Amino acid sequence: MDFSPILTGFEIVLQPTNLLYCLVGVVIGMLIGVLPGLGPAATIAILLPITYGIEPVSAIIMLAGIFYGAQYGGTITSVLLRLPGEASSVVTVFDGFAMAKQGRAGAALGIAAIGSFIGGTVAIIGLSVLAPVVAGYALDFGPPEYAALGLLGVLLVSTVGNGGKLKAVIGAAIGLLIATVGRDTFTGAERFTFGNLNLADGIDFVPIAMGLFGLGEILYNLEENRKKVHAPAKVTKVWPSRQDLSESKGAIARGSGIGFGLGVLPGGGAVLSSLVAYAVEKRRAKQPERFGRGAIEGVAAPETANNAAATSSFIPLLTLGIPANATMALMFGALLIQGVQPGPQLVDQHPDIFWGVINSMYIGNILLLIMSIPMVGIFVRILKVRPAILAPITALITMLGVYTVNNSVFDIYLVIVFGVIGYLMKKFGFDPGPMVLAFVLGTLIESSTRQSLLIFGGDPTGFVSRPISGTIFAAILAVLLVPLVRKVFRVRRGDSQPPAATTAAGTDRTTTESTPERETTEAK
Amino acid sequence: MTNVRTRRRVATAAGATALALVLTACGGVKTGSGGGNATGGSDYPTKSVEMTVGASAGGSSDLISRAMSKGMGQSLGVAMPVVNKPGANGALVAKELQKAAPDGYSIAIQNASLFAITPLAVSEAEAVKVDDFDIVYGVSRDDYVLATNPKTGWKSIKDMKASGKTIRYGTTGVGTGAQLNSALTFATAGIDATAVPFDGGAPNLTALLGAQVDVSTMQVGEAIENIQAGKLVPLAVFSAERVPFLPDVPTAKEQGFDVQVSQYRFITVPKGTPQAVKDKLVEAAKKTFATAEYKKFNEDNNLTPLEVSGEEIATQLKSDLQSNTDKLAKFNISLASKS
Repeated sequence: MDFSPILTGFEIVLQPTNLLYCLVGVVIGMLIGVLPGLGPAATIAILLPITYGIEPVSAIIMLAGIFYGAQYGGTITSVLLRLPGEASSVVTVFDGFAMAKQGRAGAALGIAAIGSFIGGTVAIIGLSVLAPVVAGYALDFGPPEYAALGLLGVLLVSTVGNGGKLKAVIGAAIGLLIATVGRDTFTGAERFTFGNLNLADGIDFVPIAMGLFGLGEILYNLEENRKKVHAPAKVTKVWPSRQDLSESKGAIARGSGIGFGLGVLPGGGAVLSSLVAYAVEKRRAKQPERFGRGAIEGVAAPETANNAAATSSFIPLLTLGIPANATMALMFGALLIQGVQPGPQLVDQHPDIFWGVINSMYIGNILLLIMSIPMVGIFVRILKVRPAILAPITALITMLGVYTVNNSVFDIYLVIVFGVIGYLMKKFGFDPGPMVLAFVLGTLIESSTRQSLLIFGGDPTGFVSRPISGTIFAAILAVLLVPLVRKVFRVRRGDSQPPAATTAAGTDRTTTESTPERETTEAK
Repeated sequence: MTNVRTRRRVATAAGATALALVLTACGGVKTGSGGGNATGGSDYPTKSVEMTVGASAGGSSDLISRAMSKGMGQSLGVAMPVVNKPGANGALVAKELQKAAPDGYSIAIQNASLFAITPLAVSEAEAVKVDDFDIVYGVSRDDYVLATNPKTGWKSIKDMKASGKTIRYGTTGVGTGAQLNSALTFATAGIDATAVPFDGGAPNLTALLGAQVDVSTMQVGEAIENIQAGKLVPLAVFSAERVPFLPDVPTAKEQGFDVQVSQYRFITVPKGTPQAVKDKLVEAAKKTFATAEYKKFNEDNNLTPLEVSGEEIATQLKSDLQSNTDKLAKFNISLASKS
């Protein structure tokens, strides 16, 4: 491998102007990440005209900084206010918010910052070394593979959250139903749109998440506060303890790998990565019941994974010219405005941009980690603000943020509707998590399944005869069957009492690890 | 004590809702109000002109609007902010513009496909009609190219037909030019084919690069980079003459299949906008077209200028709609129900 372009990349990044743009980018990113609803896509759209006048490399370095900076900032609202800014941070809410209630918000934010830094950095190294190889593997993921992944995701959804399993499944079913709203991409038929053009493209993720989590929580608290005087949560420790760190070590390592691997896939990669990372930790845990009640791994794993995924989602853009998500589409546009066409020739024609952007991420991640330290201390003080003041401000910022996504007033009404639904769900013990996640995955599953069947000419055996989708379906079978098999064995042994936690986890691990392999070979 | 507290809390909640409502009200006012009508538009423009785009930021419609708003704003001497309101392939913006005050302060660059192709796939109520707007001026044309993955080994439409297999082709959704071009080509050539619709250009391109589908029709700008890199092989372009950006690629017509549907864009204002205002907009557009910066933008984005009068565009749109309707009827193709 020729390292000289990489070194030239560092030369470009270390120019004072570019360092400054990188800093500006990550600072803006972190701040907008903190404002619920206002995502990186909307911010980049607003800032796009400003980039006309600056050098292409500097412009992209700044915009990239906004993107991954927002991933850092997004954690803050997820943990402190139960407001996930992006689909990929929904999972963080469960344990993050629980930790904040226990006064461990600082530890949650600290571990998220550390995990994000490590995940991001691992993914950048992967990006520098493996980009062309990994890009090819992303192309092997066709509709059947996405269908399988989506299905696996929905299965995992029932394991997240802290409500009961049945309630999680009900929530997920409703989420899948909401995902069907909109004009059918295949036939042009209107589904549940009631002739309203605002619904023709379906419902956006942001109003749903903001409503169900954020506004729902605010409404619920209004009622709670009447019953008992709600003291602002105590903030004891600002930093994760040594024990927190050692507990999260494995989660961060696995989260980095999962995030990098799944983040490369355009369309749903980031959401799936955080979900899978969380599910893996829960499955590996000696006491899975801690999850949803403030387990630090439950914050570390998805936060690491979504940052790693955010970084590796640059691979399809920079090597194939495919924008993996809305923000990447804007980067694509920003490059086009600069007269640079992203695609397979980018690395040869504009090595300065390719390596400049990648290397700026190393610097950006370090800057973010440094900024996080004092920021965590400041932001956790939000929890000391009285709900009477905090609630209306949060509601207002949420509405503003939601409006900016599509400049749509209709979306504000949607937030209010979903806010009421979120309140009712919380009141009746439903966790909104499975619903939101199933909603995100629903569109993916439906369209990829129908696309697959069109490609197969209507023959469903295609799903299992393709190597990658076959493997994923084998994993789905394993997830479904392993608990059943274990139950049967337990009954047969006449073991009325559940075995000690350690042995259960031990057997669990060996069975889940061996089963998919066996079935994979069969599928092939 | 608790009671007072409750009341205060309820009041805060009400306050938040009220604020949200005020906010929405403001949004409504900004797009609607105007002032140029009383003077017949002679002093136009006295304030900023809002240009809406019916697509997300970053796509070709957005980039074109931004390039135009930059030039036109400078020429008119006012700010011309671009506001993205994606939804229903641009129909959302069309309906909104239709209802806006005809004073020249609300304008939009719209796509031909919305007027000449989408009506063939959606219900009558949703179809956007040419006569509902005043078309100010044409902007540019974006041609479509049919491409395949090099793995297939095909070089032309004939090769594809010779393979004798049922072709799986990717489209960018129902009621788009990509779908219409492909469907007409396969019908004219008598090739057995199944459409696989994707939600937009990026997933369609991904599927073709990964050989998940055999061929796809895309806008030239979306495909050109991969064509030049040898990752995609162009089979035909759907234009009257060869596309200057792909001079070696024969048109479908040259290969004996008379299919030519292009995407083109034009400036629109609400029906009944004063002539004086429209004249000023035309002047501003012409000044923008003449700048070196804008010309370079067109070249960088593989766009062919279509700088003609609004009347010509209107006639073109109507004849395109008619010919598309006729062709679909002739081959008994339906864009909507066939999946």
